[in-house]
Amino acid sequence: MRQLGSLRSDNPWPIIAWGAAAAVIVVAGALGFGFLDRFQQGGPTLSVWNAICRGLGITADIGPASEPQPPLRTPTRIAWTGATHDRIAAGNPKRGELVAANCTACHGNQGISQAGIYPTLAGMDAAVIYKQLDDFRSGHRSWGAMSAIGQALSLEDSADVAAYFARQSGGLPATTGDRMPASGRSLREADPAQRLVFAGDPRHSVPPCSACHGPGGYKLGTPALQGQQVNYIEEQLVAFAQGLRQNDISEQMRIIARGLTPDDMHAVAVFYGVPTGVPRAGGLALR
Amino acid sequence: MKNSDRLLALYHFWVAFAVFLPAVVLGAWQMLMRSPLPAPLDDTNAYYASVTLHGTAMAYVVTTFFAMGLGYAVIETSLGRPVRGGVAAWIGFVVCLVGTVMAVVTVLSGRASVLYTFYPPLLASPWYYFGAFLLIGGSMIWVVLMIYNMSAWKRDNPGQPVPLVMFAITATAILWAWAASGVLIELLFVLIPQALGITTEIDAGLGRTLFTVTLHAIVYFWLMPAYIAFYTLVPQAAGGRLYSDTFGRLTFISFIVFSLPVGLHHIFGDPEIGAGFKFLQSFLTFFVVLPTLLTVFSLCASLEIAGRVRGGRGLLGWIWALPWQEPMVLAVALSLVMLGLGGFGGLINMSYAMNNMIHNTSWVTAHFHLIWGGAVLIMYFAIAYEMWPRITNKPLRSKALARWQLWLWFVGMLVVTIPWHVTGLMGMPRRVAAFDYSDPFVAPMGPWVIISVIGGFILLVSAILLITILVSSQLGERKLSEPLRYALAVNPPRTVPASLNGFALWNCIVLVLMVLAYGYPLGQFLFLKSSVPAYDVTRQAVSTEGK
Repeated sequence: MRQLGSLRSDNPWPIIAWGAAAAVIVVAGALGFGFLDRFQQGGPTLSVWNAICRGLGITADIGPASEPQPPLRTPTRIAWTGATHDRIAAGNPKRGELVAANCTACHGNQGISQAGIYPTLAGMDAAVIYKQLDDFRSGHRSWGAMSAIGQALSLEDSADVAAYFARQSGGLPATTGDRMPASGRSLREADPAQRLVFAGDPRHSVPPCSACHGPGGYKLGTPALQGQQVNYIEEQLVAFAQGLRQNDISEQMRIIARGLTPDDMHAVAVFYGVPTGVPRAGGLALR
Repeated sequence: MKNSDRLLALYHFWVAFAVFLPAVVLGAWQMLMRSPLPAPLDDTNAYYASVTLHGTAMAYVVTTFFAMGLGYAVIETSLGRPVRGGVAAWIGFVVCLVGTVMAVVTVLSGRASVLYTFYPPLLASPWYYFGAFLLIGGSMIWVVLMIYNMSAWKRDNPGQPVPLVMFAITATAILWAWAASGVLIELLFVLIPQALGITTEIDAGLGRTLFTVTLHAIVYFWLMPAYIAFYTLVPQAAGGRLYSDTFGRLTFISFIVFSLPVGLHHIFGDPEIGAGFKFLQSFLTFFVVLPTLLTVFSLCASLEIAGRVRGGRGLLGWIWALPWQEPMVLAVALSLVMLGLGGFGGLINMSYAMNNMIHNTSWVTAHFHLIWGGAVLIMYFAIAYEMWPRITNKPLRSKALARWQLWLWFVGMLVVTIPWHVTGLMGMPRRVAAFDYSDPFVAPMGPWVIISVIGGFILLVSAILLITILVSSQLGERKLSEPLRYALAVNPPRTVPASLNGFALWNCIVLVLMVLAYGYPLGQFLFLKSSVPAYDVTRQAVSTEGK
């Protein structure tokens, strides 16, 4: 009986097998840990030591994953605190009239705009003007010369000019403080503008415009829209939808505007605004 | 064949095929469900339960029971003596069957739709994991019996070469023991403690990495019975001789060595594993081409020998001289076509960079359906047609019907998988219940998916035909058939080196390779803090209060 010892010369397989296995491992290890993983597309070539670490899976970002923190961004510097109210309320319209001399070239005499791209300021709530001026100043809103103008004005100047424009008549209707009128209009309203303004579009997360912008009730810092320039309203909706304008504190206008079609935006703008060049009545009746 | 051994093999085969048919029905329904066509029971939750059942049945139940049955039949027919440890074999059968029933019932109750690869941190009912553990663990009894029977024969026949078929099926058992270690450890130390509420968090990365130990080797465990047929049954059925006995031994040894330290190529997308180990295992994966090429060469050579013996002349004339009416010969030709197509797809999957194109798409599903469902399963059918007369002593009812069945399976599988390859390249994810075919990205995939549905129903017809043939043959009249003979090599081995007559050397090499390839990737989880809370399949976070 022949003993089949595994290291006997008539059995070359242990040497072949161990040799082949070792060769394969050495080649694969050298390629995988020392050579191939040194190179990466669009990155620097690693040193051999770093390549070995990368091969093992030890990289700088190893360890418990932490949630990536987005850079802190605030839509505005304004907070509606008592101090802010007091500062706005202290605005001096007499002094404001002097400051307003800088504005009339674009926004019209006494802030009644004659061009679609410039908003009418006459009758606009002082808090609104004050906030927008500060947003222009801090770079949270940008439009043409307004950043430079904002930076040229002090906080006191802003409060004064806001007080001046808020007291001008012939532009936007006076804020009545009334509740939203009982319009009787519902989601089944056929006219899209009426529907959006008084009932909104819940399927696209659009609340009724009138809840904040009137007619009727207004929210602090929210502009009244009745009597504003049609083109201006439409342009701002587009800017919110595209993210070009981002100074709405709770992002509400960006969310709402994204839910509107271009036709919706136009319809709402036409509903609220007055076309450029149309002579104004003293106040706008509810439609 | 001794009566008790015959029953042992027959019971195992029947469990495999009894599970196979409903699993095909589920597969056909799943294809309808994810297609643009209307499907009965249009419920996405049912889809995931069905995928889990289809995968568990096909990957664990059908294959394991088939391999076990084949193992017992091979002991008896190749060693020419009864199975030693018959009682243990029956105990193993019952354990596996109980595990199967537990797993199936739990999936049907909707508490285990985690798919057969388990997908931690998804969590199923513990009964599913217990079932899987019993099924896989129970088959270890078979592994021990195969090794025991082979070594007992070697002790009784010192210096004699172990018959190739016995050597091969024992290699299958050893491969399965290595392969199953990953999933068994995952079940024992990751999934079951969590499912029972012993642990509060689950390390999904560890679970996945452990499963990859199983994930690729299990494929070769499925494949081995087909290769056993290639080497030992096909040349005989074709009327020729095996080209080389040594090729066979080297093939089965290479499968043990190269199917194990390669599983990471299934998780190239996972962040936990370093690039070096992914490359290492990708590199090693390419070596599984070696045994396949050896086999294809040896198989073609054996068939050429048979064809020339039967009077074939000229460069290719021997091909036409082969006995194509034999299901085994037909099956091998169909199998090789599918193996070739699927193999080329597999080269893409295992390549570290190219894998990105098709990772987790229907391309992958197409690949393993073509390889396992096609190339391998069609050989299972042929083996069953070969074994049935020997086990039941009743001849096959109709070889013509068997050929129809094989052809239908072949055509069906191609019609299923070619569209899947295409949709995979288009980016269609796998394991998704419903697609929005009105979406412009998904819409062009619709027609391809509909074509594959047709293939699914061709496969269903073929599966029904298979069961019909086996049942009607078994109910037929008793007739003594000639005993099963395995192909004789052209140069039958008189002695073989010890290393090609046993597995000690190769187990040592596998151990070293596994430590090198998996030691660090698994060990790193001891210091990586990567555990997360688990979610049960009803998508509720598992409460850790009071546990």
